[in-house]
Amino acid sequence: MSEPEAQSVLPHEQKLPPRVDLWTAAVFLAAGAAIIYAAWVMPTFREQLGQAYTAPGLVPALYGTIIAILALWLAARSLGRGALKRGAGGPPRARREGYSNVRLVLAAALCLGFAVGMVTRLPFWLATAIFVFLFILIFEWRREQSWRARLRPIVTAALLAGITGLLVVLVFERVFLVRLP
Amino acid sequence: MLDGLSQLGSAFAGFMTPGTLVNVLWATFLGIVIGALPGLTATMGVALMTTLTFTMPHNQAILVLVCIYVGAIYGGSRSAILLNIPGTPASACSTLDGFPLARQGLAGRAMGISTSGSWLGTLFGTLCVALFTPLLSEAALSFQSYEFFWIGVFGIVIAGTLAGGDPLKGYIAGFLGLWIATIGQEPHYNYHRFTYGWADLSGGIGLLPALVGVFGVAEVLTAMRGPAYRVTSKAVDSILPRIGDVLKYWRTILRSGAIGTFIGVLPGLGEDTAAWSSYAAARRASKEKEKFGKGSIEGLMSAETGESACVPGAIIPVLTLAVPGSAPAAALMAAMMIHDLRPGPMLMVETPQFFYQIIAMLVIADMSKLLFGLTLVRPLLWILLVPRERLMPIIFVLCTVGAFAITQRVFDIYVMLFFGLFGFVLRELKFPMPPLILGLVLGELLEQNLTRGLVISSGDVTPFFTRPVSGVLAAITILSILWSIPPAQRKIRAGARGLFGRRQRTA
Repeated sequence: MSEPEAQSVLPHEQKLPPRVDLWTAAVFLAAGAAIIYAAWVMPTFREQLGQAYTAPGLVPALYGTIIAILALWLAARSLGRGALKRGAGGPPRARREGYSNVRLVLAAALCLGFAVGMVTRLPFWLATAIFVFLFILIFEWRREQSWRARLRPIVTAALLAGITGLLVVLVFERVFLVRLP
Repeated sequence: MLDGLSQLGSAFAGFMTPGTLVNVLWATFLGIVIGALPGLTATMGVALMTTLTFTMPHNQAILVLVCIYVGAIYGGSRSAILLNIPGTPASACSTLDGFPLARQGLAGRAMGISTSGSWLGTLFGTLCVALFTPLLSEAALSFQSYEFFWIGVFGIVIAGTLAGGDPLKGYIAGFLGLWIATIGQEPHYNYHRFTYGWADLSGGIGLLPALVGVFGVAEVLTAMRGPAYRVTSKAVDSILPRIGDVLKYWRTILRSGAIGTFIGVLPGLGEDTAAWSSYAAARRASKEKEKFGKGSIEGLMSAETGESACVPGAIIPVLTLAVPGSAPAAALMAAMMIHDLRPGPMLMVETPQFFYQIIAMLVIADMSKLLFGLTLVRPLLWILLVPRERLMPIIFVLCTVGAFAITQRVFDIYVMLFFGLFGFVLRELKFPMPPLILGLVLGELLEQNLTRGLVISSGDVTPFFTRPVSGVLAAITILSILWSIPPAQRKIRAGARGLFGRRQRTA
């Protein structure tokens, strides 16, 4: 296996194709316009002797306007960089080694399932144990393994899940005196 | 002077109890572990622990958070050196020279340099907190709404310009954060803005659930999407810092300490910018430029000193202006508010003892970090060996508890989820996160001071530009925006060169 390459977490290292920026600008322009409209229809409380500068919509309208202007700036810049030219979507991006969208979707689905589906419906220790067990089991699942070989990871996942469920309740409720969901 | 020293002495004495020292030890250790584990950041650590320590007395809770913050920023260098993966964004710069040193069989020496640089950096920054906070606080007492409005705008713009990446996207993120802060009941007529009948939204978006989402949930998703990491070297030589390294590079240490603290004072920038700026300055001034990036001791020392000096630096604007200097400092500021402390110019008037307690906390955390830096090598290696598949679900459970704990509303878990997914998408689109969070923090300050200023001046906007401090802040803000437009930047550079050239000729 090769040595891992230097990785940086700074967000500006990999440039996006200009067309992506153009789409982003369109979304923010729409958001800015929506904010301006929503601010415009807010009451001004003139009948309560309210002043124009204390109207509830004034500041959001200001932010909406600035977001719309910045989105236009982003759109103009991406157009200047050839967002509408053929191939501006950029060459097919090289697959980053080790990155997986399947893992991303799985992780997001499991997290959503836990937070939205289990947290308020089950006792917290049980919800935690089920979530941790499923998470470990799914991500450590190897298709090529025989059922006999899978027994060990399943037991490990169950043990870790049980311990986590118990520890979370003990540490947070007893030590930090925090109420759990 | 003597009164100050006596108050500082009392602050130290107050923390010298067995219970407090136990808190210091576990919190610093936890901070180092959080920092060392790729995918967990200092912001997430401070935000999570804020919610979990709010039943503690305020000085104990803030002490725990300061230890987590100091420890996490230092801990990031461990994975930077051993894995070539920065444990926190702040340690990205340390990979440049730390990892090459580890590959040369000098992982222990690299960790020793990291420990000494980080320890000295935090100490330098703490000295700056002690010296400059009272001065800045006194100056801030004379500020009115106009100045505070510009401090808010300046914070957003400077964070957008310098937070790393595309300034334009930084501005958009910042103003988006400001808009999100307007959701909920507004202050003048209690009108519900952008709530659309949803009662939970009337209280606004909580800062801590949003922070946990952006820096916790988004990190879990990023970590699960990315490649697995592995420890490169398990053989570690002596980790004892060498006095010779410190003496040889004392100029670099002082320079990096000053740069790190200064970057910390600037709103919203944080430790990663401090590390990169210190590294760049050290490289420019070095006699051994060619070694940078190939295992330079000076390079690693500068990055570590800069990022660690930034921690106390980022606390200075919290204490004086109620403006966080970094994302973890934003979480720390939220914690202070939860504990009924009022960060800002009035802090030195209302609770002056807290200022001395903060200095004592920083020094104690720094000493604890040094202790662990010299002893915790093997245990951290074992922790780094925990596979992410087993770590990340536990982190997500902690995020859920953290988001829920403060107000005990399930709605805050949904806020955390939303900001986690939203933050992940924005990051993929190369939007920097610090301006978004800063916008959320500064939203109230900016709106209140804008409307108050307009009411006082009966709608006249000239005081926003004509008062001396307002005028200077407005000018810097406008210059920062112009600086991010390439043609305007060229003109400013040409103008500055012309001015400088003429001055040289007249001299």
